[in-house]
Amino acid sequence: MSRPSDAPLTPGQAPYAGVRVVELADDPAGEMIGLQLANMGADVVKVEPPAGASSRRAGPFADGVEDPDRSLAYWYYNVGKRSVVLEHDGLAGSAAFTALLEDADILVSSLHPLELARLGLDLDAVTVAHPELITVSVTPFGLTGPWANRLSSDLVGLAASGLLITSGYDDHGQPPVRPGGNQAFHTAASFAHQGLLLALLERQRTGRGALIDVSMHEAAAMTVELANLYWFYPRVLVHRQTCRHAQPVPTQPALFECADGLYIYFVLILADPKPWRMLVEWLDSEGMATDLNDEAYGDLEFRQANFAHIQDIVESFFLTRSARDAFHDGQARSLPIGILNGPEDLYEDEHLVERGVFETIEQPGYGAVRFPTAPWRMSGMPASAREPAPTLGRHTTQVFGDSQ
Amino acid sequence: MTSDRTPGARSGPLQGITVTDFGWMGVGSLATRLLADFGARVIRIEDRNRLDMPRRLPFYKGAGLRSYGEELADPDPDMGGCFNNYNRNKLGITVNMSMPEGRDIAERLISISSVLTENFAPGVMEKWGLSEARVRELSPDIIYARMSGFGHSGPYADYRSWGPVVQAVCGLSGISGEPDREPSGWGLSYMDNQAAYYNSVGILMAIFARNRGAGGCDLDVSAVEAGIELLGPTLLDAGVNTRPAGGSTFRTGNRLDHPAAAPHGVYPSAGTDSWVAIAVFGDAEWTCLVDALGRPAWADSAEFASEKARLQHQDPLDAHLAEWTRGRTSHAAMETLQAGGVRASAVQTAEDINESDPQIAFRGTFFELDHPVIGRARFEGVPFTSSTFEPDNWRSGPLLGEDIDYVFEELLGMSESEIQDLRHREVI
Repeated sequence: MSRPSDAPLTPGQAPYAGVRVVELADDPAGEMIGLQLANMGADVVKVEPPAGASSRRAGPFADGVEDPDRSLAYWYYNVGKRSVVLEHDGLAGSAAFTALLEDADILVSSLHPLELARLGLDLDAVTVAHPELITVSVTPFGLTGPWANRLSSDLVGLAASGLLITSGYDDHGQPPVRPGGNQAFHTAASFAHQGLLLALLERQRTGRGALIDVSMHEAAAMTVELANLYWFYPRVLVHRQTCRHAQPVPTQPALFECADGLYIYFVLILADPKPWRMLVEWLDSEGMATDLNDEAYGDLEFRQANFAHIQDIVESFFLTRSARDAFHDGQARSLPIGILNGPEDLYEDEHLVERGVFETIEQPGYGAVRFPTAPWRMSGMPASAREPAPTLGRHTTQVFGDSQ
Repeated sequence: MTSDRTPGARSGPLQGITVTDFGWMGVGSLATRLLADFGARVIRIEDRNRLDMPRRLPFYKGAGLRSYGEELADPDPDMGGCFNNYNRNKLGITVNMSMPEGRDIAERLISISSVLTENFAPGVMEKWGLSEARVRELSPDIIYARMSGFGHSGPYADYRSWGPVVQAVCGLSGISGEPDREPSGWGLSYMDNQAAYYNSVGILMAIFARNRGAGGCDLDVSAVEAGIELLGPTLLDAGVNTRPAGGSTFRTGNRLDHPAAAPHGVYPSAGTDSWVAIAVFGDAEWTCLVDALGRPAWADSAEFASEKARLQHQDPLDAHLAEWTRGRTSHAAMETLQAGGVRASAVQTAEDINESDPQIAFRGTFFELDHPVIGRARFEGVPFTSSTFEPDNWRSGPLLGEDIDYVFEELLGMSESEIQDLRHREVI
């Protein structure tokens, strides 16, 4: 059988042109997968219950006006998708839903196993009934196992995975602090995209679809970086530190406050002579090297023995300049230094503007909104222009005709 | 189990794909790990004179307490656990790219490959003559995957970065922390991991498009731009609604504004640095929590009678909840709360997830392979299963130059004496 997703791509088409996706997603993990597919050219039909996806009620809202068509959470994750309304109860037996799946390449589901059971939606059975369909399920713990039916959230997911304990402040009387932006969900989404692409390639090879079962718990549990390695090998635990790597032993601060109250991240690497020289030259050029030019500092052991003194000088140095100047001047000297931007700083950043990172899309009932473009730049395959995030049920008639 | 380390045919969705892999450090090697897991023949090119950092980092069994920045003067390149974890299932060769003969070998490998990967600073590959145009002459339909911190164009293209710099610049660190304090950011190079995941996706997507007749392409993935996508709705909040500069107003600690939830936090439990995370959304979940706590009298207070009221009284609410959690272990609290239908978890450590987490054990998230120098070691698997394919875990990470004979004889058709000569002249 020939599918539009098998048709040869013509020059200028996005990689997922012709790929048809049905999305049953009520959390940021499922919605992010659909977003990434839509951004790269897929036709994503988001199936919402009559009350709308819960992201429509999550907020924040444009200008603070609480309205299901003004939720920025909904806009962010659903730009470029189509919205159809179908009563979720009875979805399993619904002719409309079955017809959608008949034509689909991919079903994205982030419904919880308890919700799937309540709806009578058995993803194994869906896979059997639609042998060419790729079903990507993302759930808190996976579809199988003793914790499959447990409840989670972004915070709870990060806690369970071993990631949360690594992040927070030096003071361990304070609890670990959740890093922002729905990252347990987003980590699951990244792996789900990998899994569904492998399934697409396997289907190109064999013609068969698949059920991909993604566990957010496992996704985050293998995104802890050094914490696992320290357990696999020396079998020691890492301990969190303010805005820098959790380590088995304490290390020097890497966050420096600047004259404008903003921060930069910079790790002083004493062992490597080149960045040390660059740093001292930089301090010297501003008349702030004090004694660091002394010959004695040429010796690593001396530098190590006087680390606290060096750290004091560097702290004072950054307090005399803006974070932006520190970032650009340090980078001009090839030092790996980063400004801690706020999200609002990104829109006008000259590098990001030149790279075309933001695209303006007219949101009906509101006006122009800048959305980020997809981070995959592929020569000859520009991402296609996107439609705005849909109002609830905007495409129901278009997709199902007048029968619904 | 001593496994046969001889390379052979691979299985999985990527069988038949050969990758010339210049990827290194954490990002590069994690990005191509997925390709190697699922059947691609990934040939890692290493430089004996500039050992990959993961080979040098002292992740050794029995190494004791040592920060990962504290390197040894002369590390055994085959001992490094970080390298082993990131480079399983790949082939390993060494090539001296500063010699013309070395660059010639690289070109021969590229001409038998359909994917080329690298994550050097922009310009390094060009310095070796491997411009996009040249690479396409060698292998017309190749996918040339270029991974960097800031991307291969724009004013910051040459800026130095690693995970913490990327997560600072893209905004992810600045939005994380308590509202009245400096950012707490991340305790790991989150963006090294996520950049790797995005790069794996980009390569697979380019293969998918190539299979549909799109030909090869140059893929330019900037880690900062991946990080911007990961900011989520916060990014639109900053663009659409006016907020003060610096990101500080986006820091809400463990509380959650969108969607609003209370209680939503991390509470102390019995033991040192031991915590339990609890998240309650809406009235039905609140009722579950109150029941799970045994219907304490304080929960009847008007202060907590509605979600709106609970959001207004989070300090007293958190204090009551902490009193309950403090009296039990984090895992006991988790069990009680989950049994009552409450979203809750012990704040687990790497020891917990590796040694006692029943879900991780059931799903086989981690697995083990033997290694000639390291011995038996544990690996992170993949967090998804497929009904039709599985990872092909045939070997632990390559020893330095382990597959020189195989790659040069079997794939490039060199004779034993040619290889001897290259070794002798330190080209490989």
